[in-house]
Amino acid sequence: MISNFSATQALKHVTLIIGALIVILPFYAMLSYSMKSPHEIETNTGGFFGDQKPMVDEWCVKANNPSGVLPSEELKQACTKTPIVFNYVSAFTKAPLVRYLLNGVFVTLSIFFIQVLVALPCAYALAKLKFWGRDAVFMLVLFCLLIPVHAIALPLYIMLSKVGLINSYAALIVPWTISVFGIFLMRQFFMTIPDDLIDAARIDGMSEFSIVWKVMLPCAIPALMAFAIFSVVAHWNDYFWPRIAVTSDRNYFTPPLGLRMFKGDSDGDVYGPMMATATIIVTPLIVAFLLAQRKFIEGITLSGMK
Amino acid sequence: MIEKVTKTVDTLNQAAGLKRAENRAKWVSYLFCFPAVSLMFIILLVPIFVAGVLSFTDYSLGNPDLNWLGSKNYEVIFGRSSYQKMIWATVTYVVVVVPISIGLGLGAAMLINSVGRIGELYKTIYFLPVMAALLAMALVWDLALHPTVGIVNQTLRLGCGTWIEGLFSFGWLPWVDGAQSWYSTSCADEFPLWIGDRDYAMPTICFIGIWQAFGFNMVLYLAGLTGVPRELYHAAAIDGVTNTWDQFRLVTWPMLGPTTIFVVTITSINSFKVFDTVEALTWGGPAKSTYVMMYAIFEKAVKENLVGFGSAITIVFLFFVLLITFTQRFLVEKRVHYS
Repeated sequence: MISNFSATQALKHVTLIIGALIVILPFYAMLSYSMKSPHEIETNTGGFFGDQKPMVDEWCVKANNPSGVLPSEELKQACTKTPIVFNYVSAFTKAPLVRYLLNGVFVTLSIFFIQVLVALPCAYALAKLKFWGRDAVFMLVLFCLLIPVHAIALPLYIMLSKVGLINSYAALIVPWTISVFGIFLMRQFFMTIPDDLIDAARIDGMSEFSIVWKVMLPCAIPALMAFAIFSVVAHWNDYFWPRIAVTSDRNYFTPPLGLRMFKGDSDGDVYGPMMATATIIVTPLIVAFLLAQRKFIEGITLSGMK
Repeated sequence: MIEKVTKTVDTLNQAAGLKRAENRAKWVSYLFCFPAVSLMFIILLVPIFVAGVLSFTDYSLGNPDLNWLGSKNYEVIFGRSSYQKMIWATVTYVVVVVPISIGLGLGAAMLINSVGRIGELYKTIYFLPVMAALLAMALVWDLALHPTVGIVNQTLRLGCGTWIEGLFSFGWLPWVDGAQSWYSTSCADEFPLWIGDRDYAMPTICFIGIWQAFGFNMVLYLAGLTGVPRELYHAAAIDGVTNTWDQFRLVTWPMLGPTTIFVVTITSINSFKVFDTVEALTWGGPAKSTYVMMYAIFEKAVKENLVGFGSAITIVFLFFVLLITFTQRFLVEKRVHYS
């Protein structure tokens, strides 16, 4: 490194570091705010971790003091917490965050499994079976690749509300059950698998169904992994469609919808718990990304294969 | 002898078995394609048709009356100033975010490529915003840009009256009057309200968009750069191309052509779809300065139940998006064919 040192090299690093600081700033702010007391957030003091001076949790006082008279000292004492505990506990207690997170996991995984269930047989048929109309189906796939689902959200919303599915898990999942991109990707992948393998399986008496799930699926694991990351990241982070599909019933809220509820009441006290919630929502994917960077970058840029 | 016969019979049986399997496969293939094809029709094609039809009506949910309006919805979109502002805002966002995020992505990729192994670290950092839920990060930016409490304005205020003000007011440049610079006037007066100010709201939303998107473009360009053969640079050097800018202009940039076409398309479509930041931070305001199409569809059709009108915006939106993709297809078709 030292031997390579030169003015240009230094300039490059300075540029890259300034960029990195701007990129990291909101992550830093989010983590820092999630640990600070409302007062520290307002005055921007306390450094990164905050002073962690115990503070009185006003919500806790209010909840345990329904009469509204001056709260007793014992109650105040009982409701005193350090800011970090206050923020993270409030994140889970002010809103049913666990439920939102479970909804997010359920919706995201359901979408992925249904996508695979629908796409894999079709991709196999397109890649390895000869039948009349195959080219037409493939043309249809190529055409549908052009349609972003977000763009047709409104008619989907109308159709779903006509069948009474708005505010349900089905509403969150149904529009994404068909991944044209998944079909295309798996078809391209299956094209590279030798026909002999399939013929051998047929000679062994395997049905076409078991060929798809017992021969093709295991072969396709690397491509499927990338597709899984692509799909899971997109739907865990998606805000637009859940915002439309779930209009009122909080039972079906996904994590971003739950987080959005913190903004609205402009009460300054909410910032800490809001940032704690944001941290909780963002962390799983960031950690997974840091652990398996190569896989993630491959998965997210999958669409580059189109 | 007997062995040989058995073997031949086996082979024949196998061939017949394969033939049977292939015949069976014909039926199976329709079965395999049926779910996917029917879902493509129901989820992707029928909605376009539905939106197309509804866009000529005044349909709203729960209202049994449906009047045929002809092209009135479209006339409103293109004729009334608030919807002209909508198209203007959307196009502004795309026209700002696409080139800047691509430029930064390419720049970052080239820099990272040239600093050796430590580049991996920058790559990881720059990719973080792509992974994080945009809504969450938008709320963080919202707080960071808060006019009084926010970390951005507080930090900027700290710089006032110190050497930082001197540096960023650019008064040290002979042709600049430092006292009139943005930084100095803001110090003397007030720092911007960012998303609350109609002049700053759109640039701020664009900035968050760029912040989020450029890492994605960077990764695509890094992949593109690995595809540029080293020999080309040697060959160019023999032809007298040694200066970095000429190398970029004559070798790297043309070789990145296919990547660029793709990056431009995907970034444009993603930028057209901007919604999260607008819905969470500005609600299309102030003064409709950030009233982008996705938000307009949401506000008109879902919140105000003007489905017919929202459908018309949807169709205009689809038109924009398809225009971009067809342009890309047209450009790519010249080079690549799927087999």
